[in-house]
Amino acid sequence: MSVEFGFFLETVISGLMAGVMYALVALGFVLIFKASGIFNFAQGVMCLFAALTFVGVQEKFGLPAWLALPAAVGVMILLAWLIERLVLRHLVNQDPIILFMATIGLAYVLEGLGDLMWGSDVKLLDIGLPQGASDYMLDNFNLYVEKLEVVAAVIASILVAALAVFFQKTRVGRALRAVADDHQAALSVGISLNTIWVIVWSVAGIVALVAGIMWGSKSGVQFSLSLIALKALPVLILGGFTSIPGAIVGGLIIGVGEKVAEVYMGPFVGGAVENWFAYMLALAFLLVRPQGLFGEKIIERV
Amino acid sequence: MTFQANVSDAMSDVTSNAATGPAPAKEPEMMLAVEHVSLSFGGVKAITDISFDIHKGEIRAIIGPNGAGKTSMLNVINGFYHPQEGTIYWQGKVRRRMKPHEAAKSGIARTFQNVALFKGMSTLDNVMTGRGLRMKSNFFWQCIHKGPALREENEHRAKVEEIIDFLEIQHIRNKPVGKLPYGLQKRVELARALAMEPDLLLLDEPMAGMNLEEKEDMSRFIIETNQRYGTTIALIEHDMGVVMDLSDRVVVLDYGKKIGDGPPAEVQANQEVIDAYLGVSH
Repeated sequence: MSVEFGFFLETVISGLMAGVMYALVALGFVLIFKASGIFNFAQGVMCLFAALTFVGVQEKFGLPAWLALPAAVGVMILLAWLIERLVLRHLVNQDPIILFMATIGLAYVLEGLGDLMWGSDVKLLDIGLPQGASDYMLDNFNLYVEKLEVVAAVIASILVAALAVFFQKTRVGRALRAVADDHQAALSVGISLNTIWVIVWSVAGIVALVAGIMWGSKSGVQFSLSLIALKALPVLILGGFTSIPGAIVGGLIIGVGEKVAEVYMGPFVGGAVENWFAYMLALAFLLVRPQGLFGEKIIERV
Repeated sequence: MTFQANVSDAMSDVTSNAATGPAPAKEPEMMLAVEHVSLSFGGVKAITDISFDIHKGEIRAIIGPNGAGKTSMLNVINGFYHPQEGTIYWQGKVRRRMKPHEAAKSGIARTFQNVALFKGMSTLDNVMTGRGLRMKSNFFWQCIHKGPALREENEHRAKVEEIIDFLEIQHIRNKPVGKLPYGLQKRVELARALAMEPDLLLLDEPMAGMNLEEKEDMSRFIIETNQRYGTTIALIEHDMGVVMDLSDRVVVLDYGKKIGDGPPAEVQANQEVIDAYLGVSH
């Protein structure tokens, strides 16, 4: 294997791994958008809040990681319940833009709440996930691959597979899709909106927790964690706001795309391609295929 | 006032049935009754002091000019709206304030004036949502799609296929409903309601926007549903020909008040009804 090709492979693999992480964040958006038509501005902050809680209960109460995880999951479910009680319930039948504004407010509340409860200093998140380069890949293929990224990819794949089954095969999944399509009709067949909303926000909260732990292990738990939500936006535009596979494929395309562009295009334009590549790609996509790769085409009957 | 007597008759009839077994064929059993129901939104009165009942097994039409409060009435019955005054009797018992999904659980299904389907899903999935309340297997089995869950899913599929056959929508089984023509969408909506195997089926203008042939099909389905499954039906309809053909009894609303109640022929002859509704062209 030539050195150039090996280097190209390393770039692609590291792009794929980053893409999986983007996909994880995008997944949280898709879930809530699918089931309630709300674009949840607070999704990024939910990742931060979840990771903060996870680290916080470890620090403050000295819980081991395996106990902190269910505790954090519990907090996210409680949060979902509170959001439904205090926010969503009062905004039934409002325009999506109103609900969107509500989630902006929610983002700030969560940010403040996280700081208040756990402090605003940068926290180290170490749950013993393997760090550094994989020796196996280095010895056998002479490729540099981060262990943490491999673990993240595996966990994300499991999560995605579980969610796909949940949405397609179960009664609750079908009810979630029903609520996404038409509130009144869903009520008329006996689906309780309140229950569905708590479920879907809980699931999105758990996805945010996983994403938060992964990103936190990589770069510490700090405010900038909530900004990864911005990277999830182009992923969503690429994959379609309503598609779980779309979030994955979109994440991978953007992850690989920006790494490859950075390495091979960077030198010619003075670098930092990684920062804008995703958005340019999304922009181009909006012009050609606004519903995304897998999104539902919007049909308006006139 | 004679109506009031009817309700209490029916009530005592139901209570005595509990002791003596099946109802005698002549005395109609009460499915639902509303008594002195009033509903307002802010200062606007949508329904004023309306009372009527629906017998078990009948087709009951609710008619009236636009804005008479017909849809509001259906929304009260299935729990979308909560009247400020009045009592609702459901199968002989006073019904407490109910949320729509609880009303659905108690056996009330409905369709909507402007078709309300799950547009992203196929016809089959839409109809399957109607079975949701009857699915009991636990979450774990559903996820792995084996064992009890698979068996249950198959049982429900069989029932759903029966309804799909009955309404003659086999050919669109796997099509996303958002892309279907309007007439077929209305039929899918009826299928979803029937999948719930309701005691009471509420149809809000089931034939609006249909051509003659589609109307005839829909009329046939409604009558067959009533006869084959014994489903009690309350429907709102503007086409007077259809109403007179289909319904056993008709209640007429105007400006949120009841102005007529009885068999079609009787209502048609009622001068007040003619003035308010039949004589007015839309």
